[in-house]
Amino acid sequence: MVLEAGRIYGILGQNGAGKSTLMKILIGLVTPDSGEIYMDGQRVLVKSPQNAADLGIGMVHQHFSLVDALTVWENVVLGDRSNRLDAGSARTIVAEIGGRYGLEIDPDSCVGSLTAGQRQRVEIIKCLRRNPRVLIFDEPTSVLTMEESEQLFAVLRQVVRDEGGTVALVSHRLEEVLRATDNVVIMRDGRIVAEMPTSDSTLDDLARAMVGRDVRLHTSEAHHMRHGAGSDAVLRLSGVTVASRRGGTVLDGLSLTVHAGEIVGVAGTEGNGQRVLADVLSSLCKVTTGTVEVGGVAVETGRAGAMAASGIGVVPEDRHDSGCVLDMTVAENLMLTSLNRVSSHGALDRTAMRKSAERLISQFGVSCPSPDVPMWTLSGGNQQRVVLARELSVRPKVLVAAQPMRGLDVSAIEYMGDRLREAANAGVGVLLISSELDEILHLADRIVVIYKGAIVGEMRNEAVDMTRLGMLMGGAI
Amino acid sequence: MNMVSRSAVGRLRFSSDQRELALLYVACLVGALLISLLLIEFNGSSWSRAVNALVDGAFQSPGRWGETLRRTAPLLLVAVGSGVATKAGIVNIGQEGQLLVGAMGGAFILTLVQPGSPIMLVLGIALGAVAGALWAGLAGVLWYWRRIPIVLSTLLLVYLASQIAAFTLTRGALLLNVVPGEPNRLLQSAAVAAGSRLGIIEVFGNRFSLSVPIALVIALAFSWLLSRTTWGFRLKVLGLNSRTAQRAGVSHFRYGMSAILVSGAMAGTAGAMMLAGGESQYKFSSGFSSSVGWDGLLVSLVARNSPILAVPVAVVFAALRSGSMFLSVAGIEAVLVDVVRALLVVALFIPPAISELRRKRRAMARQTERV
Repeated sequence: MVLEAGRIYGILGQNGAGKSTLMKILIGLVTPDSGEIYMDGQRVLVKSPQNAADLGIGMVHQHFSLVDALTVWENVVLGDRSNRLDAGSARTIVAEIGGRYGLEIDPDSCVGSLTAGQRQRVEIIKCLRRNPRVLIFDEPTSVLTMEESEQLFAVLRQVVRDEGGTVALVSHRLEEVLRATDNVVIMRDGRIVAEMPTSDSTLDDLARAMVGRDVRLHTSEAHHMRHGAGSDAVLRLSGVTVASRRGGTVLDGLSLTVHAGEIVGVAGTEGNGQRVLADVLSSLCKVTTGTVEVGGVAVETGRAGAMAASGIGVVPEDRHDSGCVLDMTVAENLMLTSLNRVSSHGALDRTAMRKSAERLISQFGVSCPSPDVPMWTLSGGNQQRVVLARELSVRPKVLVAAQPMRGLDVSAIEYMGDRLREAANAGVGVLLISSELDEILHLADRIVVIYKGAIVGEMRNEAVDMTRLGMLMGGAI
Repeated sequence: MNMVSRSAVGRLRFSSDQRELALLYVACLVGALLISLLLIEFNGSSWSRAVNALVDGAFQSPGRWGETLRRTAPLLLVAVGSGVATKAGIVNIGQEGQLLVGAMGGAFILTLVQPGSPIMLVLGIALGAVAGALWAGLAGVLWYWRRIPIVLSTLLLVYLASQIAAFTLTRGALLLNVVPGEPNRLLQSAAVAAGSRLGIIEVFGNRFSLSVPIALVIALAFSWLLSRTTWGFRLKVLGLNSRTAQRAGVSHFRYGMSAILVSGAMAGTAGAMMLAGGESQYKFSSGFSSSVGWDGLLVSLVARNSPILAVPVAVVFAALRSGSMFLSVAGIEAVLVDVVRALLVVALFIPPAISELRRKRRAMARQTERV
């Protein structure tokens, strides 16, 4: 692979194609077994991130490496080797870089209070102040809103134009790569399978090259009327209000009904209460007022395991946070919510546990060497399958899937979509919370829009009115 | 996909990791021993004499390994308890106080109820366990009710415990043994009633009480409880990921409290059994705990919260204690043993810390990789 100065490269590939590994080699987190790296014709060895920084290679990670308790400027100078801490000049740096690239941010605000987009600004400032010649972004837009993404691309453009730098943008969003890059490098199974100027390629080209076969990009499957509307409500939220610790309201009288056998998509831009909604349905959050009913029976909110016991399965937005235990084995993770099926009188039956785990592993196609390996050895996609397998194995009445496709590749998205549909066909009420409108349009039977912690509108998928939907999401109605 | 090769590589890496870890352990231990020997030489004594004195005192001289075993029992009990708390993600460091309170609770039955009987022995130890559990439970209540950090409250409760113990020894109506006609009263309780004492096992002149086999059985029992019961499983989930625990139905209060209470009860049992087993002539005094709680905590840290691993570690720590008594006889400052013990603890910490750091780094690398 050759990266020329003054261009933006899109590194495209499915999960596991080797994009991240390639970038980690450049940044010194991974040492290649063989092969060489040259910069300006000189062979270089990148042994550590420090090494890479000295060479002028900087990376903005997908998961931010910021310290919440510190302020913006403190975070920016955090990695410095000098012993002197000069608040004044650090503030100037933040302001100066911010001004130059349109990344304005208050150097004295506390990182913990910033939104994802603002945090990314801090990360970028951190990188830019070292004047890197090669700047790597690992899926930068996965946490950003549309606007923020646009702003980010403008910044990248400016870096490339003004500084003659090179930007490598790792992504698996096709449209994004088409819009923001000069060249595309497509990887598959650890190799570069194609490289072309972006202007010469189309969406279909890229998709084909990426998966090596034709994929259904926008399969508008006939949304045959499932026994949705007429059947029983399995989940009913009435007037659910949750006050945040800082005093504001994060859910504000939210009411929502899911019937057996239908997929209800909760659309909305991120930060409108989706996370809290999922937390309430995971027993992680107590409501101030309002009720949650499952199958007509009220469920106490905030009591450990109450939602799970009443029949709500959850595939959480952040599986590391509330979906799995990384330091426990795959088998143990699969059995988290169904311990009584593999135990008697409080004593665990390890053999039974292993057996059920093995059955689920093969049923859901989880790739792992054995049920007894720790969860953290699995890749993200497989961890996601473990969570899905566990939640579906207890035959829930309701399945909540929060941003279930995030960070997954095209085929894993297809798989996840199929499973959700399958669940709905089997009579489970599916609540799909997603900030990707495409996902919702693709899967949901009924679409509700969440805005500022309340459901502001509803429509059936067959009769979707995109203009109205957009306005609802933007809070214009 | 290249899944199969990937996982095979993962497994290979894992075993080479274990080799590395073992090597690290050896290297660190050798390093700690070298530093210890140097320290002894610098103090003007010969290291061979020091080692001989230690081994003599801990194992070789007549009756000494019994002494080592006697000291092992309470260390092991404390370590098992604190391991349970740590499994649940709760850092209880107040075992010293819980042990003292346990001994004190036990003393109320063991030393005051005459005549002694096996029933009183069982009741006394049970009261010790309950007292230790309540003392630790206080910290638990403060945490779940008012979010006062358990590390702080358990630590500070140690000092409160010693004040209370001292107070009970100032009043004849409480634990103080008032000997008529003796003006300089020792602040200690009466001896445990003859019938309420733990049986003494004697093997080739080595004497230790029944508390040794009891502690061993308790350690085995907890090893089973932690790995083979839903209770142990849920504690582990709670300790490793509290939000997942909450979602999966592991009540923070119920399971967290159970772990705190168990750890306190173990320390309390250790204290009561020390008293019933003949520590300081079967008499309770305010300095009764003599750092056994602190040492037990260290045992648990070194054994990485495993009740089984805690057995050998407790023996080593007990040997250092009983061996140190012979050091001063050999003309070496006994305080050196504390330094040696501290060095050992540090040395045993380095390898797991390094492997943990590596593991975190690798997990982070994986997080962005995602297949």
